[in-house]
Amino acid sequence: MSGATAFWYASRATGIVALLLLTAVLVLGVLVNRQGRLPGLPRFAVTSLHRNLSLLSVAFITVHVLTAVLDTFVSIPATAGVVPFVSGYERFWLGLGAISFDLMLAMIVTSLLRGRLNRLLWRAIHLLAYLSWPVAFAHSIGSSNDLQHGWLLYLAVGCALVVVAATGWRLAQAARQVPRAARVAAVFAQHTAADNQQTDNQPTGRTRETV
Amino acid sequence: MTTTVNEPATRQTATLPRLLPAAPEDLRRHLARYGPTPYRGQAGLLIGDLEASGLTGRGGAGFPVYRKLAIVAQARGRKVVVANGAESEPASRKDEVLLRAAPNLVLDGLQLAAEATGATEAHLYTHHGATPEILRALAERAAAGLDPVTVTITQAPPRFLAGQESALVNRLGGGPARPTFQPPRVTEHGLHGAPTLVQNVETLAHIALIARYGPRWFRAVGTSAEPGSMLTTVYQPDGKCRVIETEIGAPLNTLLTSAPQAQAWLVGGYHGTWLPLPQAAALTLDNGTLRKYGAAVGAGVLAALPSDRCGLAEAARVVRYLAAESAGQCGPCLNGLPRIAAALAELAGPRPRRPVRADVERWAGLVEGRGACHHPDGTVRFVRSALTVFAPELSRHEKGQCSSTNRTPFLPLPHTTLQNGIPTSEDDWT
Repeated sequence: MSGATAFWYASRATGIVALLLLTAVLVLGVLVNRQGRLPGLPRFAVTSLHRNLSLLSVAFITVHVLTAVLDTFVSIPATAGVVPFVSGYERFWLGLGAISFDLMLAMIVTSLLRGRLNRLLWRAIHLLAYLSWPVAFAHSIGSSNDLQHGWLLYLAVGCALVVVAATGWRLAQAARQVPRAARVAAVFAQHTAADNQQTDNQPTGRTRETV
Repeated sequence: MTTTVNEPATRQTATLPRLLPAAPEDLRRHLARYGPTPYRGQAGLLIGDLEASGLTGRGGAGFPVYRKLAIVAQARGRKVVVANGAESEPASRKDEVLLRAAPNLVLDGLQLAAEATGATEAHLYTHHGATPEILRALAERAAAGLDPVTVTITQAPPRFLAGQESALVNRLGGGPARPTFQPPRVTEHGLHGAPTLVQNVETLAHIALIARYGPRWFRAVGTSAEPGSMLTTVYQPDGKCRVIETEIGAPLNTLLTSAPQAQAWLVGGYHGTWLPLPQAAALTLDNGTLRKYGAAVGAGVLAALPSDRCGLAEAARVVRYLAAESAGQCGPCLNGLPRIAAALAELAGPRPRRPVRADVERWAGLVEGRGACHHPDGTVRFVRSALTVFAPELSRHEKGQCSSTNRTPFLPLPHTTLQNGIPTSEDDWT
């Protein structure tokens, strides 16, 4: 195996891993949004996992882009990773990859600056995940023969089904959402069902003398 | 312009009380005692005096007053000042008492803060809204032509967090009184985007006096690091509540008016800290001293828990209330506090299961520092200190015993018409 071929294999492999990671990140994001949990993990750990896996995906995508550029088997300019439609090779499909990556970078930068940003702006940009993932998926299928047949095809279809299911679940959950003002009461009911003897439910008055 | 020291008035007010007259004062008596509002004629001039005075906010956070004023004064365009009398603490009565007894002192301070910052809009925000005392004071001042800036009164909803700065700004803007993430601070981006100065009503009353008598007069009482006097709401062991103006740094014991039959002090209200007696008896009421024990004066709410009550039962009642007062916006607070409250209720009862205490401590660590406001942090401070101070009582509960002989609730919680005291609709926040 020559050095150039090694880059080509590395690029294909990291691309596939990145697709799996991005699928996981999106599903975890849905879970974070709906305040869901994973078995054995507290809620904040789901958030941390979402965050850490998204950074890990960026690392894989970076290697995926760099190895594709360094590889001499086909000619891809270094800018093709972030600038859409500049590659001579597979101009359209690699362009989709660049668009998807740019959207991810926007989400990460706004998340790192979240404390200093308007929440609505952060949220609007974060919702681009639902655009970024399908574009990345199209890039994966379109630019790679690997995913077009065999068990890798099943893997790709599986990823798509998981994302569709997670999105559908999110929409269904949102439709059944408790209004914000009533959330405290709802959570409270869960936790205080067992104990009513000790804490008096009768609120006490301000009956004491005041000077 | 230098500060003119009015001799007779100085003599009258150099000793305590400075803020609270013996009987409520109308404008005529207010003017006879203090003279007219000492406007400086230009924005910013008062701020140097406030810096020299060392005055800190009396709403609980204790932030240096001059710095907030300086930030708003430096901003351009439309600015807003707000007198915050919405005591979030259901146990605090000092703002209400001050507004009833000396409304003109607060309104003087509000106008002086407006002048110092260049604000053209002034608000008064209280749980009681437009009370007869406030309306009368405003009408008398308007008739006398005292106030350059018109004051708008807004009633705060009966929620624990309603007085928090960002919640206040949201409410004045027509929305629910819920806190939002900061930054940007309200001093930079407040009511309808305008830089907004929010000061506690007691702070404004101090400003009105510093403007008249100067920083040296102000520093004549208190400690060098924390000068001046402060209003405290003290719950005596006999159940009586008194609003007492005291020198900062006064021994806690001087605040007790009855024989000390107490087992612990609660210092700083429901976001405050329990301190065991008799060890706490020698402590003084200043942050420099209290900080060493993990406590702070906060908004000056103090309660001496009588020896015949169960501290765990009291803590459980309060934490249940605090959990119910979560704005429901941040996951750690929304999910964590009810769970902590339920566990504390178990600890307050007979034979709590062994792992519950460790659970509470673990959950406390998980909610700390993770809210848009300090509600989870304050609640955790209260819970942790209760578990430490009432540890001997907890051991008794584990054996199925309790040392209390009086089950009457001691610490006050507000009357509420809400279902179980928990807000369930958007209207409950407005």
